[in-house]
Formats: sequence, structure tokens, C-alpha cells
Amino acid sequence: MEIFEADVAIVGGGGAGLRAAIAVAEKDPTLKIALVSKVYPMRSHTVAAEGGSAGVVQSHDSLDHHFNDTVTGGDWLCEQDVVEYFVANCTREMVQLEHWGCPWSRKDDGHINVRAFGGMKIERTWFAADKTGFHMLHTLFQTSIKYPSIKRFDEFFCCDLIVEDGRCQGVLAIQISTGKFVLIKAKAVVIATGGAGRVFRQSTNGGIVTGDGMALAYRHGVPLRDMEFVQYHPTAMPGTGLLFTEACRGEGGILVNKDGYRYLQDYGLGPPDPWPRKKAMELGPRDRLSQAFWHEDRKGRTVSTPQGSAVLLDLRHLGEKKIRERLPLICELAERFMNIDPVHQPIPVRPAIHYTMGGILVNGKTESPLPGLYAVGECSSVGIHGANRLGSNSLAELCVFGKLAGDEAADFARTAQLSASSTLEKLAEAASQRALEPMKRENGTERISILRKEMALAMERGCGIYRIGSEMQETCDKLDELKLRYQRVTVDDKSSVWNTDWLQAIELGFQLDVAQAMAYSALNRKESRGAHQRLDGYEERDDVNFLKHTLATYTPDDGPAISYSDVKITKSQPAVRAYGAAGEQAEGKEASHV
Amino acid sequence: MSEQQRMIDIEVLRYRPEEDAEPFFQTYTVPFTDDMSVLQGLQYIKDELDSTLSYRWSCRMAICGSCGMMINGKPELSCHTFLRHFYPGGLRVEPLNHFPIERDLVVRVDDFIGKLESIKPYIIAKEVRRLEQGEYLQTPAERDRYEQFSSCINCMLCYAACPQYGLDNKFMGPGVLALLHRYNADSRDGGQAQRMELVNAEEGVWNCTAVGYCSEVCPKGVDPANAVNINKINSAKDYFINLVRPREGGK
Amino acid sequence: MSDMQHDARRPYVRPMTGWWRKNPYFVCYMLREGTALVVAAYAMVLLTGLLCLATSEAAFNGWLAVLRHPFSIALHLLALAAMVYHTWSWFDIMPKTMPPVYAGGKRVPRHVITRAGIVTAIVVTLLILLLTWSLT
Repeated sequence: MEIFEADVAIVGGGGAGLRAAIAVAEKDPTLKIALVSKVYPMRSHTVAAEGGSAGVVQSHDSLDHHFNDTVTGGDWLCEQDVVEYFVANCTREMVQLEHWGCPWSRKDDGHINVRAFGGMKIERTWFAADKTGFHMLHTLFQTSIKYPSIKRFDEFFCCDLIVEDGRCQGVLAIQISTGKFVLIKAKAVVIATGGAGRVFRQSTNGGIVTGDGMALAYRHGVPLRDMEFVQYHPTAMPGTGLLFTEACRGEGGILVNKDGYRYLQDYGLGPPDPWPRKKAMELGPRDRLSQAFWHEDRKGRTVSTPQGSAVLLDLRHLGEKKIRERLPLICELAERFMNIDPVHQPIPVRPAIHYTMGGILVNGKTESPLPGLYAVGECSSVGIHGANRLGSNSLAELCVFGKLAGDEAADFARTAQLSASSTLEKLAEAASQRALEPMKRENGTERISILRKEMALAMERGCGIYRIGSEMQETCDKLDELKLRYQRVTVDDKSSVWNTDWLQAIELGFQLDVAQAMAYSALNRKESRGAHQRLDGYEERDDVNFLKHTLATYTPDDGPAISYSDVKITKSQPAVRAYGAAGEQAEGKEASHV
Repeated sequence: MSEQQRMIDIEVLRYRPEEDAEPFFQTYTVPFTDDMSVLQGLQYIKDELDSTLSYRWSCRMAICGSCGMMINGKPELSCHTFLRHFYPGGLRVEPLNHFPIERDLVVRVDDFIGKLESIKPYIIAKEVRRLEQGEYLQTPAERDRYEQFSSCINCMLCYAACPQYGLDNKFMGPGVLALLHRYNADSRDGGQAQRMELVNAEEGVWNCTAVGYCSEVCPKGVDPANAVNINKINSAKDYFINLVRPREGGK
Repeated sequence: MSDMQHDARRPYVRPMTGWWRKNPYFVCYMLREGTALVVAAYAMVLLTGLLCLATSEAAFNGWLAVLRHPFSIALHLLALAAMVYHTWSWFDIMPKTMPPVYAGGKRVPRHVITRAGIVTAIVVTLLILLLTWSLT
């Protein structure tokens, strides 16, 4: 088996992974960095993010406002000290990206332009047309080329962590083009593998978002935190689930039901005018908007399309110039995929899974409980999103915590010593045998695509926008069954070169583990908070019993063990989570108390 | 509502290096609906008919650049090319031209990646600015000068379209030269001189004979042909300026 | 321990033979490039005429007689068709070879540049025709 020795290994070449790699390279150019990604970095799903990245710039804005918006948006499940660190560092990171060439959209005077975004009181979302993630990712990737200490392992599929002596000491990866294993020894490992939206049926996510890193850390005893909180983005394309950015609404777009009525005013987000208005109506938080869709659907007020029910995203009143200039990607998507010109017609949209708030448990310094293992980005739960993420906080997270993870991993690597190579090699050998199992199996009876579809359907039913205990239990039972059937999955392709059949089997294993963590966590949270809403007697938020994080810990041959941990509260005591007019009233009361 | 399920034939170029001496065509019959892309057709084949078919894909919305392939002889992104256009005749899907085939629809793209890395694709700042000083100022007009070229998703359709690259892959190629131009045209960058040698080379802009097909197939309107050909003017200017006033320090 | 040098990859390189016949766009491109040869050939014809003119009246008349031959007329008609295509394809590719042109604060679109070029070519052609007509 080929062996490579690095100081820091980073799994995942998206925004977070690249930012971490650059941070290590800048902190100490003598450290050897292995950047391992199962796709070329510019294919990472960061590329599909559209709307923008948050950073306080305006003089009438403040870190406190960003902090409060974030904690309120997270329904008080955020680690508030971490949120304080986050908001204090967003702007610096956005400026750093700008210095590295990111083509941020500008005001006429040449300064950065910011726009309004869901759940945010004041405009602070930096944007690059409607392709912010694309531009950030390409800027980071191209900038990373400057640093000779970053060695990239492009199209290497990470299939296990090497854990010895109570520490993470590297990763085992498969070179996709040859099918050969390579052991990458590393004194510190940073996981930046993204979310797990693909365990659901309809999502905005690309095919690669299968929760790989989450499952790897999970299987080695690191708890996954707050997995029940998955975000439904309110405006996705029916059928494919492709994303129509929140920026459509930030620019003034409206959502109407089949009667042309702006229905959000019926769900505590009104009044509808004046429009646009922050934290109200279509600029409310994503969980509320998706929940409103669910209700409209039940009432029969949605539009019917061949791909399912939908509501209408109407941009016509913005005018052709603004639409083509600010939302060109949206125009492309609507025209090409749906034959709809947004300048003249409204676009049918419906919620689809978009983001995984939960993830690998890490502290405010991105350290997991396993020494030497760090996690950053969507795969992690560092504590800033809580029960619901605000748009444009995720892209900022990649940079703020990417840098932190890189710095921390670099410091750890400088003083760590690897165990004897023969020991690590033995572990790698054993891990490679486990990875080969699905392919070597002679008498498999299950098909990957069938198991995957059953999993996705079960998750859609049990872990939807609204949840019911009996349905969640069914989903948990189904996933238990699927995990057993997975032991007999067949891989038809026995070749070495680009065997995607085999890799899909490994990914399915990851997805089933992550799905189980999500479903079990959801079943056990007997309250409604943020993106986890129940209809079975637990419709209210329960701060007495559930102002806590859920921890899902792997137990072999069984579902995860569920436990709870406290939430760090500093400046913001849990209050009523209100938007629209009610929100303004609540803020008014707050201000008068100061 | 009962509607006859329509079927379409997809002829795919297969190649398994351990089993096949050379590539061969295999035809699959796939049920489809009006909104199905060619990529979804391939996914159907992999899920239901033949799990050994390998291809690259991810975002499904023409932004990640993974799914480039030849569809009826033209370089396209399979995720936003629709099966309904080829009905009832059927379609032929092959890996991207001008790259070696690794396996089925997967081509070897090391050459492209190497070229991308070689052009210093990052800001070489004209003037140093500390983070505390905030952003460089850049007007919308200045941004407009390079934005189009910054939209390249690295899908390599332009390389599949370029016969010069196909005939001699030492040519730097349209996409990479467009990226080079993106940085040269960015008001914050001062690295034009450092990139000039690559532009001036025979394998730089001068291999281009203005076929123009690259810009025709580009899914993002980058117009790489334009980037390459305006740099012929820059290259010529540089040549004559260098005659009159040679650059310091050799080449 | 497995041999690190050898793996199962065997990349297949497809030959480029007949590349330009496989796509209508390339056929048009090759025709475009081919018309350059026609332009060169016609330059030779004109140069020959010039040389004949410099030699003697008889030589020049001989050259004119060759040009009047039906076979020569036919070739000239083909050459004219090639020149027209040469001109059109030149202006078709021209926008791609130019830096962006701005007029009134907005970028001039590609087809406008092409059309402007073709219109100019037609006008100049007509002017030259008129000029030569008026001289005979």
C-alpha cells in the first residue's frame, strides 16, 4: 500500500477545506499538507451556493445585531460564545477573500455592496452576482495554488480514519482512478466533507453530499450533535430540487399561492407591506417559510405541477434589468429547466432539503473530542446555527472556522508524534479489507439503488417539515432494517479503474449511519424548535427540558445512543421567536428596557 | 391519467481498461419524461440497468462543471441537455473529445489541471493593502472588464471543441487562457508581466487559429476565443515594446 | 506489498483523423481557411496581369483573352463565391478577436459588429464597382 506522510491532512476540498489548507500553509510553510478530495476541488458543493456571505459593514449595523439575528434564528440552540467569535470575524474573512480576488458585487463608488437576507435585521450579506459560492470556491481554489506546501490528492475517496493511541493519526483513501488504497499518515486531521442532504429524496444538494466525514467520525466514537435539525430551503425547483436563491427574495421577490395571495402574512410574518422589509414576510427565516408552505399545501392552496405541488415565486415586478443583472443564474435555471422566463412569468417553487445544521461535535476551536481530529463547515456542529441556520451564515462559517481549524491543526501537528508506522499500516490494512467487503461479496442480494431510494423515502416521510412520533418511529425502524440489508448489498462492478459502483456502496453505508443519527435524534426531541417541528402534542418549544443539544453516539449493531448536553448562553436569554410586526414589537420592548 | 411511457435509446461509448482492448458502443433503452436531462438518463441506466457505467456528475445545475461529455458529437453538459430533444431518434453519448479515456465517460484531465496551475491564477497585488484597511476599491465598470472570464466553471467543453488542442495538447487552450486573462484584466492585479511569457509562447495564444467553436459550446458565455485573441494583440505589443526596451533579468 | 508503478489504468487516446468532417462547424471552418488559398490564387492572377501590362500590349491582350475564356469565367464565378464566403466569415469571427467595444456606456453586441463589417464591405464593393464602371 502506498504511504504518504503529512503534518496535516484535510478531507474535503470545498470552501472550508481549502480555507483550512491555506491557513496551515500561511501559519507555517514548513508543514506538509495533504488535501484529500473525492472530486476536484472546484466541483465541491460550495460551488452551488448562490446568495451571499454575511459580514457586518454598514455603520448602522453592529456585531450585536448579527449576533442577535443568528441566535434568534437558531431558536436559542446556539453556543453563544462561539457565535460571538463568529460575528466578530466574518468581515475580516470577507475582506481577505476580496484581497485574494473574489469578485464581490460593488456599489458605484467601488465599495462592497451588501443585500438583505432572511432573518437579518440589517443588510450585511456580501454577494457576487447570484453565484457567491461559485466565486468564493474558485477564489479559494486558485489562491491555494500559490502555496507549494499544499499537496492535493484529487479524486481520492476517503474511506476511513486511522485512530491509534486515542488519537486520529491519518486517513485511508482510495485513488479513484486506480482503485488502490493509500495511507495518508497525519499528525492532525481536519474533516471538511460537507453535509448529508442526499439521505433525503428531494434536495438542493449535489450527488457528492453524502455525509462521508460525519459517518467516519461517528463510527470512531465522536458524537454527532443536533442531527435532527435539517433545513428545508423554501424555494427549490419542484422535482430536481435545484436551488433558487434566497437573494430572489432579498431583491424583493414575493411568494404567492394559487390565488395570487401572499400567504406568509397568515403565519406570523406579516403585514405584507411595506415591502421589502427585513425579517418579515418573504425575508423571514427559512424554517418558518417552509412550514408555511406545508400548511398551504394541506389547505389545498398550492399550485399543481407535474413534479408535485408548489407555490409561485414572483419576480416580475423587479423589472428585466434588475433580474438579469442581479439574478442571472436564476434566469438560466428557470429558462433552461422549466421553460419559464422569470421576467414575464412567476416560477413554481417548493421546499427541498438544503442544509444540515447538525454534525460532528466540535468545540469553539473546531476540536472534536478525539484528539488530533478537527471538523469544519457543514459537516461540523460548531454551534452557530442552532436549530435553524440563517442564509449567508454558512459561507461565512467556511472561512471563519476554516481559518481557525487550520491554525489549530497546525499548532497540534507541530508538537504531535505519530505512532510507529507498522502499527498504522496494520490499521490501514484492516480498514482496506472492510472497505473492500461490499465488492468482494459473492452472494449479495440487495441493490444499492433500491436501498438508497427506500432510505430517501423513509427520511422524507419521518423527518419532513412537520414530524409525528409514530412516523419518526417507522423511519427509525426502516433504517434499522436497511442497515441489516446493507450487509448483503451487491456490487456488480469488480474492476479497479473508476469503480463508481463500489464507491456508491461505501457512500450508502455512510448515508445510512447519518440518517439513523438524524431519525433517532428527531424521535427523541419531544418539543418543537426551529427546523424540528412536531404535530403530535409537542407543538411548543420546551426550554425547561429541551434547551439542550442532542448527541447521537454510535453503537455497533444498533441505533445510536441519544444523550443531551447543555447550551452555552451568554448575552441572549431565550425569548419568543418573532418576525414581521410581532418581531418589531418585541424588539421595541427590548429597546425600551435598555 | 394514462399516457404511453416513451422510451429512448441511449448509445453510450463504454471502455473498461481491464477488460476491453478498445472502446465499444452499448445501447440502453430508457423511459423518459419531458423534463429529464441526459444525466438523469445515465442515472437511470446506472440504477436500473447497468451499475457498472461510470461518469462524473454532482450539482445537476451547470455550475460544478463535472458532467461534460459529447452528445451526438457536440460537447455538452449532460445535466442541462434534455432527452426530449433527441426523441425519437435516440442519442449517442461519448466521453469528452481530445482527452484520453480513463473509463467509460470519464476522461483523464490531469493536463488541464496542470495548465490551470501553471498560469499563476491568483491575484498578484498591484499595491499592498492590509486587511484592516478594508477592501480594494473596484467600480462596477472595472469589475465588468473581467467578470465574464471569471465565470468559467472548468467544464472543459472548450477543450473538447478546440481542434488545435486535439491535434497538439501542448497548446495552453481556451479555458486556461481565459482564466489568465481574467486575472490580467482585474484592476487589483499587477502580474501581467509575470504571465506574459506563457501568453507569448508558441503554445500560448499563437496556437489559436480563431476556429471559435470554443465560445460556441461554452455553457457560461465566457467567450474564451475572445480572451485568447485579444491577448494576441497584447502579445504583439509586448514583443515590440520588448524590442525597444528589453525586460530586466533575462526572460 | 503492491507495485506502486503499475496500476490497471490504460488511458485510450482517440485518433484525430477526419476530425473536421465530423462536425458541420469544422467543415465551415475548413472552408473558411480554404478560401484564403483562393484569395492567394487570385492575387497571382492579378500579378500576372500586371506583369503582362508591364511587358507589352500584346502580352496584356493575351492575358485578357485567357480571362475571357468560358472556363476562366466559370473559375472566376467560383472564386467570387469563395470571396463572398471569405468576407462573411471574416466578419463573423471578428468580434471574437477584438477587445470589447463600448458605445453610449453599453457594450456593443457581437452581431452588431459583424453586421457593421458586412455592410461596410458591401458599400465599399458598390463604390468600387461604380468607380470602375464610370471609368470604362
